[in-house]
Amino acid sequence: MEFETGRTPAIQITPRQRWSIAITYFLLICGFALGVNQRDSTLNQASVYSNLEAGISASYPARWLLEESGAYIFRVRDMSHRGYNTVIEVSTAPVGPDTTERNILDQLSLQRSQTLTDYSVLGYDSFRLPDESQAISMSYSYVARDASPFLEGVSSIVNGLDILAIRRGQAVIIAFRADISVYGRELETLRWFVQNLEF
Amino acid sequence: MTSDIRFQPDLEQEDAYSILPVWRRLSALLLIMTGALLAIVLLSELLQRRFDARIEHVLSLALAPLILLAWLIIAVLPEYRAARPRRRLIGVAVLSALTASAIGLPLIEDFMRVDEWLPLQSVFQRIVGYSLSVGVVDTGLKFIVLRYLIYPQGLRVRSDGVAYALASAMGYGAFLSFALIWRLEPTLGIAAIYVLANFTIQLASAMFIALGIIESYFSDAYPLVLPSNVAVAALASGVITALLGGFLSGPLTTAGNTARPLFACAMLLASLIITFGTVYFLYSNSERREREAYMSQWNTDGI
Repeated sequence: MEFETGRTPAIQITPRQRWSIAITYFLLICGFALGVNQRDSTLNQASVYSNLEAGISASYPARWLLEESGAYIFRVRDMSHRGYNTVIEVSTAPVGPDTTERNILDQLSLQRSQTLTDYSVLGYDSFRLPDESQAISMSYSYVARDASPFLEGVSSIVNGLDILAIRRGQAVIIAFRADISVYGRELETLRWFVQNLEF
Repeated sequence: MTSDIRFQPDLEQEDAYSILPVWRRLSALLLIMTGALLAIVLLSELLQRRFDARIEHVLSLALAPLILLAWLIIAVLPEYRAARPRRRLIGVAVLSALTASAIGLPLIEDFMRVDEWLPLQSVFQRIVGYSLSVGVVDTGLKFIVLRYLIYPQGLRVRSDGVAYALASAMGYGAFLSFALIWRLEPTLGIAAIYVLANFTIQLASAMFIALGIIESYFSDAYPLVLPSNVAVAALASGVITALLGGFLSGPLTTAGNTARPLFACAMLLASLIITFGTVYFLYSNSERREREAYMSQWNTDGI
């Protein structure tokens, strides 16, 4: 039989108990603030990438995956995201004396429309770079399927933004792509990336 | 004002028979819950048979409500046959589920975004991170529900604290399990692990909260006893959450990685046994001390 001690009901709590409740609330608030701080320090942790050959140096989120083998100088991907991984890709293309920025973007669109499903250009705009110079940007969207046809999963709608600037006879293209559900939030990461990009 | 704690022999005798004991029912519930969920995991591992996706989803969604039903049958319905029932059990469970839905889940998923930054950290950072995010939020919300619904008006005997904390854990855990299965649509075996994990985490933290409330109210313990117990509750929640991922996922090989449900089940079972063993030991110890103090007071009075 369990031992049960009864006490007179409806007793007010003592000052000691009141203190313990107040300290508990204080502890919970402090714990939550520490959690937010840990989140911010982890999310904002940066790594530095530098390529002397291409003359590019950049900071990128430390938790993102860096890749250098492909048709680009480098790209970083957020592998922790479910579904389509947000990606920032930096590449260069040679330009002739008569080539305009719009020509290069149109060429990119032509290539993508042949390989990407439901690719469509959403618009063109200007983009101010950290050195106060103007670059041109092109936003677009397409439908991305999983790389393996054997994996189950629904398609993702991907929004993309290309920022293009011509420097020393070559076009530098910063391509940013993210799932439409996180695109707005991840644009902040792109802005931070561009702010810290040197080329 | 200091409260007047008077142990009354008549009331004690009356309480012993009119208030339902809680530990035996809690043990029965845990045995049924873990037994049923482990059986589902084992069967799905051994048979390797998949139902139709829609049927499997419905069966998975039914797991959390079934655990709630078991709690209602084992712990709640018998209360209404007792002379002095714990009347707020369902209220505590419902309010805990509502706080999980309205505050807990949005805070963890949309504000803290733990899935984006914690899973790739080292084990130590995961334990600290989950304790300070998931642990603090879950424990804090359950504590607030218990504070405003039962502390002190619902506490008559020590076991009341355990019974109400159990109710809070059941409500909170049931909602989280349901929401997780609804969104991820896992296989039945993995769904059973999610349900077992959610209930284990919520029960572990709720039991430490209960211990703190009981010590604070019935023993008028030092002001740091309750916050310490709440901190341990958040830590327990963080440790189990952080370790579960590692146990559930197999090592990464060239063929990819596979889930290891049996490892996860063993880890959750060990967590349950360690947590409840510790809490029961501390509860019994404090109860024994109170009984001895009461007996010495009884003898001093010369009766």
